[in-house]
Amino acid sequence: MSATDHVTASGRSSFNVVGKGVPRLDAADKVRGLAQYADDLPFPNAWHGRVVRSPVSHGRLQGLRFDPDFDWSRVVVVTPDDIPGENVVDMPGRDMPFLVHDEIQYKGEPVALVAAPTKRLANEAAAAITVEVEEWPALSTLDEVIQHYKGDRENLDELASQTIRKGDVETAFAQADHVVESEYWCGHQEQLYIEPQGMVAQVDDDGGVFVQGSMQCPYYINPELCVTLDVPREKLRVKQSAVGGGFGGKEEYPTLIAGYCGLLAIKSRRPVKIVFDRHEDILYTTKRHPAWVRYQTGLSKDGEITAMRVDYVLDGGAYTTLSPVVMHRGILHAAMGYRCDNVAIDGRVFRSNTFPNGAFRGFGAPQAIWGLESHIDELAERCGMRPHEFRLKNFLRDGDTTPTKQLLNDSVGSEAVLTDTLDRSTFAKKLDRCSHGDPDQARWYGIGLSFFAHGSGFTGDGEAKLQTRVALELDRFDDGRPGVHVRASSTEMGQGTFTILAQAAAEGISIGYDRVDYPYPDTSLVPDSGPTVASRTAMVVGNAVYNAGGKMKAALEDHVARELADGQRVVLDDSRFRSDDGRVWSFEEVAEGYLDDAGPMRVEDGFRLPPDMRWNQETFEGDAYPSYSWGCNVAEVEVDPLTYEVDVKRVTAVFDIGRVMNPITAKGQLEGGLVQALGYAIMEKMGIQDGRYDADRMQTYVIPTMVDCPEFDLDFVEFPYEAANPGAKGVGELPMDGLAPAIANALKQATGVRFHRIPITPEAIFEAMQNGSQAEDGMRAVLETAEDG
Amino acid sequence: MAEVTRNWRLNGDPIEVSVPPGRRLLDVIREDVGKTGTKEGCGEGECGACTVLVDGQAVLSCLMPAGQVPEGAELTTVEGLERTEGGRVLQQAYIDKGAAQCGICIPGMIVSSYALLSYVEDSPDEKLIRESHAGNICRCTGYEKIVEAIQYAGEQWPRDERPTATSEHGR
Repeated sequence: MSATDHVTASGRSSFNVVGKGVPRLDAADKVRGLAQYADDLPFPNAWHGRVVRSPVSHGRLQGLRFDPDFDWSRVVVVTPDDIPGENVVDMPGRDMPFLVHDEIQYKGEPVALVAAPTKRLANEAAAAITVEVEEWPALSTLDEVIQHYKGDRENLDELASQTIRKGDVETAFAQADHVVESEYWCGHQEQLYIEPQGMVAQVDDDGGVFVQGSMQCPYYINPELCVTLDVPREKLRVKQSAVGGGFGGKEEYPTLIAGYCGLLAIKSRRPVKIVFDRHEDILYTTKRHPAWVRYQTGLSKDGEITAMRVDYVLDGGAYTTLSPVVMHRGILHAAMGYRCDNVAIDGRVFRSNTFPNGAFRGFGAPQAIWGLESHIDELAERCGMRPHEFRLKNFLRDGDTTPTKQLLNDSVGSEAVLTDTLDRSTFAKKLDRCSHGDPDQARWYGIGLSFFAHGSGFTGDGEAKLQTRVALELDRFDDGRPGVHVRASSTEMGQGTFTILAQAAAEGISIGYDRVDYPYPDTSLVPDSGPTVASRTAMVVGNAVYNAGGKMKAALEDHVARELADGQRVVLDDSRFRSDDGRVWSFEEVAEGYLDDAGPMRVEDGFRLPPDMRWNQETFEGDAYPSYSWGCNVAEVEVDPLTYEVDVKRVTAVFDIGRVMNPITAKGQLEGGLVQALGYAIMEKMGIQDGRYDADRMQTYVIPTMVDCPEFDLDFVEFPYEAANPGAKGVGELPMDGLAPAIANALKQATGVRFHRIPITPEAIFEAMQNGSQAEDGMRAVLETAEDG
Repeated sequence: MAEVTRNWRLNGDPIEVSVPPGRRLLDVIREDVGKTGTKEGCGEGECGACTVLVDGQAVLSCLMPAGQVPEGAELTTVEGLERTEGGRVLQQAYIDKGAAQCGICIPGMIVSSYALLSYVEDSPDEKLIRESHAGNICRCTGYEKIVEAIQYAGEQWPRDERPTATSEHGR
C-alpha cells in the first residue's frame, strides 16, 4: 500500500495501533472451527420451528384447514390469535403483519407457525395445514411497475416519495446546448451470505424472552419485537452469535425470524430454533431493490453539466419496511460526484406483490450509481470527449456543493482517487486499444471507468438522533491478566468490526491491542451504539470507542497520579505510565492494583458529531452526511465474440476511506465488495416467475467463485475525517457502488453496444448484438433519446 | 430399511455411529457426533462449506450418504487439522493473511486447502489454487486473501506431509 497522507493540523497523524494490519480478533476461532454460528448454538432441547406460507401473491386469507388425520397434540401451532402483543412488524410504515390475518400481499407470506421436537415432524405438521385463499390479480415485476408509471399510474400504490431541488432546472434545460436522456434498469440481487438466517428463542419462568442468533442489529430486534411479544424492553434480551455474512440481509429481516421463534417459544414454553435451508432463505428473505432510473442532462457546448433531472423508482415489494430510507440514500447519490448548479431529483417507491425488498450493501446507491456512471459516459460521448476527460472537467472537488447544497470542505479525496486511478491503470493509453465490436478481432478488449462518492453514516440528522453510546470495561481476562472489553452493539459479520474497534480502544487508552477484546454483543450488557449498517461503524462507533478510550486513559492517569506518583502529572503512553519526575509503571501493574482496590472500571462515551451540521428532512437540503468516502474503478474486460462470454481481466480501484484503520481488513472488505459488484454486473440474475424468484437455489443463482475473479490493483489515498478521530470514513458499501457501471462502460468499448440493464450476461450481449443495441428489447425496451436542445 | 453401524476414526478418535439409510454424512458429523465446525451453506453441493476429508479425499458431506463411507474410514474435519503440522501451518497462514472474514466458508475452504497441499509435490501456483478451490464459495473476501494464505502455507508446508498425508489418513 502506498498511502498518501493528507493529515492537517486538527487530525492526529501518528498512531500506535490504528493503521496497523493486526490479526483479526475472531480469526483463530474461525480457522479452528470453534466459532458458534446460529445453527451451532447448544440448545439441546430446542424444538424446531417452521413457517406456513401463503400459496398466492395477492388475495384474502379465508382460513386454515388442519388435517384431521395428523396428531396435533405432538406439535404447537401459532396463528394470529396467539400473538400476545400487536400483530404488526414494528418497522417504518407499520403496514406488515407478523402473520396474515386478512389480506395477503406476497407469495410465501407467513400465515401460521408450527414447532415440533424434530425438524421432520415440524415439516409434516406444516404440510398438514392447508391455506385457503381467494386469489386476486397481482403486480409482481419492476417492468409492470414502470409500464404503469409511464402510463396512467392508476394501478400503482406509492409507498414513499421524496424530492431534491437545487437551482432552476427549467431555465437551465432551455439554455442547454445538448440534452441527453437515458434509462437504466437493475433487478433483484440476493445477499447470499453463506450462513442462512437462523435464530433461537427461549422464555424464562418470569416471562423474560432471550433471543440469540444471526443478526446485524441487536437493537432493532429490541425494541421492535417488544411490540409483538408484549414484553417490556428490559425483559427482551438479544444476543448475537457468530454471523456468517450479512451484507444488509441480516439488518431488518432477523426481527421476523426472531419473532417466529419467540412466538413459538412463548406458546410451547420451550426453546425454539429456526434455521432456514438455502432454498427457503433465498425465497423468503430480503433482496436488493430492483430499480429504474431515468436521467435527463443538459450540457454546454464545452462539456459542462448545466442541468440534471433524475427519476429514481424502486420496486419496494409488498410492504414499506426500509424502502423509504433506501430510496433516500439512492436519490442522495443519484447526481452526486459532479458539479451541477441545477438539479431536480424525484425518488419514488411503489408496492409490488413480492417479498419486501430491503437492505443490501450500498442501500439504494449502487442502483443510482449504475445509472449515473453509465450516463456520464454517454454525456462524454455526446460532447466528443473521452470518459476520463469529461470526468476530470466536471467532478466535485473541495469547495463545491452537492445536489443538497452541502459544501464539501473536509477530507475530500475526490481528485486524488480519480487521478491516481487513471495513472495506475494507464487508462488513457489503453482506451485507444478498445475493440468496439471489430469483427476481425479474435477477442474484444474494453476498458471502462467509474467515479463515485458514498456518504458515511446515517443520512442527515440520523446520527444526531441516534446518540451512539459505547462502553469500555477494565477487568480481568480469562488468562487472569487485566484487559479491556469493548461493550457496543456493533456486530461482527466478517467486515472486521471487532478488530478495528478493539484497535480504536487500544489507541484511545494507549495500550496494546492484545489487551483488548470484544465479546459478542448482548443487549443486557452493551449500550446502544446503533445498528451495524450504513458504512457508519468505522467512522461513528470508531470515534465513540476512541473517545471512551480517552476517558479510561484519563481515569487511569488520575489514579496513578493520586495513588502512586504523589500528585505528579502522569501520562499513559503505549502501555507505560510516566510521571513528570521520571518514574514509570506498566499498564499491567497499574491495572492489577486498580482491580484489586476498586474492582472493574466502566466508562461510557459517544460519537461527537460536528455541531454545525444542518439538515432539513422535509426538503432534503443541507449536510446529507457527516462526510463522504470516494472511489474510482477501472475495469478491463475481454469478450469472446463467438460465445459473448465476458472475462473481467483486471480491476484498478482507488479509495479514500479516510483513515485506514487496518489495511488488511480494509482491503479484504473492499476486494470482497468488488467481487460482489462483479456478480451484480454480469452474473447474478434473478427474475420473477409466478410471483416468486426464478433463481431460488445456489445452483441457479450463480455468484463469483475463485476462478471468476479479476486481477486487482487496489490502493488507498487517505483523507482522514478530521472531525472525528481516529478519522475513518465509510468502507463497507463503497466497493459495491462503481464496478457494475465500470464494467458496462468497458463492455461498450469492447462491443460497441451500450447496455441499459444489469446483469449483462452472455445472453444479454447476444441479444443486444443481434439488435445493434439493447434499447430495442421488445416490451422491456429502454427508451434512449438524445436530442440537441 | 435397517440402520447400519459404522466404526470410523474422526480426527483421530474412534467413533461408532448408527446410520439410517440416506442420512447425510454432514448430519452425522454435526448432530450425531456433535462436531459443529463443519457447516451447511446450501445443502446441494454448490458452496463447499461442508467439505471434509474421507481417507484424505475432499468430499462434500452434504451430498455424501453416511452409509457410503466405508467401515474403518479416517475422517478429518476442520477441528482435526491442528493435529498435523501442515494443518497448523495452514491455520496460521489464514490468520496472518486475513483470509477469514465472516468465517462460515472457512471450515470447508481450509479443508480443501489441506487436501490440495497434502496432494501436490511442490508449492501450488495461483492457477492451481484457484481451480482446486472453485467449489468453495466465499461471499466476503473476494478470495484474494485466501489465495495469498494458501500460497504462503504452501511455501512453508512440512515436507513429510507432502504428498504422503493421504497415507497418514489412509488404510
